[in-house]
Amino acid sequence: MSGKSRRDFLKKTAIIGAGVTGLSASPAKAAPKNILSADRMGVLVDTTVCVGCRNCEWACKDAHDLPAGELFSYEDRKPMEFRRRPDHTALTVVNEYSRGKNSNLPVDVKVQCMHCDQPACVSACIVGAFSKQENGAVIWDTDMCIGCRYCLAACPFQIPAFEYDKALDPLIMKCDFCFDRTKNGKLPACVAICPVEALTYGPRSELIKVARNRIKRNPDRYVDHILGEHEVGGTSWLYLSSKEFKELEFPDLGNNPAPGVSESIQHGIFAYFVPPVSLYALLGGIMWIAKRRKELKEEEHV
Amino acid sequence: MKINLVSLLLITALTAGVNAQQSPGKDHAKLSISCKTCHTCDVPKKDEPCLVQCPREKIVTIYQKPEQTPELIIMDQILDRYGPVYFSHKLHAQMSVMSGGCENCHHHNTSGPILQCNSCHELSRKREDVSLPDLKGAYHRQCMDCHREWSHKTGCNSCHELKKDFKDTKQDDIHKKYLGKDHPVILEPSHISYETNSDKGKLVTFYHDDHTKKFGLACAGCHKQETCAKCHDVNKKFNGKVKSANINRTFEEQHKNCISCHKDDKCSSCHSETKLEPFDHTINARWALGKYHERLSCAKCHGSKLPYKKIDNACLSCHKDWNKENFKHSVTGLILDETHLELGCEDCHSNNNYALKPNCSGCHDNYVYPKQKPGKLVNK
Repeated sequence: MSGKSRRDFLKKTAIIGAGVTGLSASPAKAAPKNILSADRMGVLVDTTVCVGCRNCEWACKDAHDLPAGELFSYEDRKPMEFRRRPDHTALTVVNEYSRGKNSNLPVDVKVQCMHCDQPACVSACIVGAFSKQENGAVIWDTDMCIGCRYCLAACPFQIPAFEYDKALDPLIMKCDFCFDRTKNGKLPACVAICPVEALTYGPRSELIKVARNRIKRNPDRYVDHILGEHEVGGTSWLYLSSKEFKELEFPDLGNNPAPGVSESIQHGIFAYFVPPVSLYALLGGIMWIAKRRKELKEEEHV
Repeated sequence: MKINLVSLLLITALTAGVNAQQSPGKDHAKLSISCKTCHTCDVPKKDEPCLVQCPREKIVTIYQKPEQTPELIIMDQILDRYGPVYFSHKLHAQMSVMSGGCENCHHHNTSGPILQCNSCHELSRKREDVSLPDLKGAYHRQCMDCHREWSHKTGCNSCHELKKDFKDTKQDDIHKKYLGKDHPVILEPSHISYETNSDKGKLVTFYHDDHTKKFGLACAGCHKQETCAKCHDVNKKFNGKVKSANINRTFEEQHKNCISCHKDDKCSSCHSETKLEPFDHTINARWALGKYHERLSCAKCHGSKLPYKKIDNACLSCHKDWNKENFKHSVTGLILDETHLELGCEDCHSNNNYALKPNCSGCHDNYVYPKQKPGKLVNK
């Protein structure tokens, strides 16, 4: 059964592929949308301001039609005792860390898609479902997605999630920067609800200035680092912190864009089609030798 | 109640009239603060003040006593999910005496009138200038850091009531709840023993009672930047027996509060291997106060300036108007009998030293005070 459907899929792809190459006038149309606008928006997350009320978790689910429950139920501090990751039921989560011995207050860190400037998911998606939009959002087209989950593996922040529990039509899920809301002039749901405005929405270039200024004015409050300014080539979401980011379990990723790594491997393998051609040449060679041997044996017997 | 309401309305009207554009006061140029803190240009003019956006500097000059401030402030500018917030301003002002004072919240106020929060913080979250938090953010930042520090909760309903549950008929109850209330008496420890790593004596016993009740030190003299959790933490158990001193602090930081008065004292006056006794005037100052002096405040004899001035134990250093003619011996608690009344002071008090026991041997053999008395004891 599965073999048949796979064959169907391959057939379909081959036909579409042939069609596209045959009919499409502009080959650029097949490449995913990957815009890096100078006016792209971002969010500055000030973890020194966040109080960990988890209202953003509720607002996010509410805006994305996920089962959200009542807002007051998010006052429960129990989930903060565990480390959580965004998944298909919650596209953003807030984790709590100790601020240190001398403080009663914890450090609360909201986790969601960082909306990379050079998104690895966009580069990894084999059907071009992912795209980086002009306003900075990295979104994907559910109808195009074939569920290969390459985006899960490619993401340096391990953000995209998959509805593994669904047998039929499982979807890829992640924060979409509330693309449907911002498109209509609204704020992202989490930004709108945050009581302390720990999340500041604005043009990314402006947010970097704001963040620098906060560090300059309060050098004791912040570590001198804006996470996301340069990490993996820059991200739309930026973080300020009172502690070193590795203590808040941010992955140490360096400043090279993540697609650079995966793309160079992929492109290296497939450059000028040399490896497949040589592979087939090798196989062909083995086959020819085997055939020749058989012929020789038959000749001996005769 | 009516008067309270009227005064409340008056205060609201007054503060509403105050505009951010008003001058910060005539003489603000004389303040000991750089002009550049508030102005970007060299010569600010009245119509072009070239102001910096809300400088976070301590230049608040309107200090009010908590009791003079508005009792209740109703915050109803942002009403989305929740109804208005009733903020007990006076109560919070009373608490702020020990933690940062007025400028803790009124952080950008210049020397002029008290500015409303919305003079700097915009009502809309979607705005051009995102360098400052919006009004909702600014309000919550002021409240949440303290409130969650001691309650360990971030729930909305400790300050807010959902709009749908909110009824106007409750107004009277709300005023009853907030008006005319003071901060309850603060619980103070009588003493705290600190375990230190000093080689001059491991234990420092700090008699809090002595300093506040006996010596009359103001709370805010030491407690300047206390967190709310110091008193309010719901998880706190105030058994206060022996506390470990914070060894992360430097020597200077550790002694900062004490040294301003105890700068001439030896280490051993605070550090010991055993728990020290509270202050006793007879032992520590080597002079028994007696019934009369015990009732006096320290400042009455030692002056109001801290640290208290040392005075000698001669009566005349305080009672400057006493002389042989007007001195009534009965104030000492002993009425002299007729024979002794005739004598000169030095006859019993050798060298006019009144701190020592009187000397009877000038006239009597084998008489010793207080076994034999030159008169009758009275209750002072």
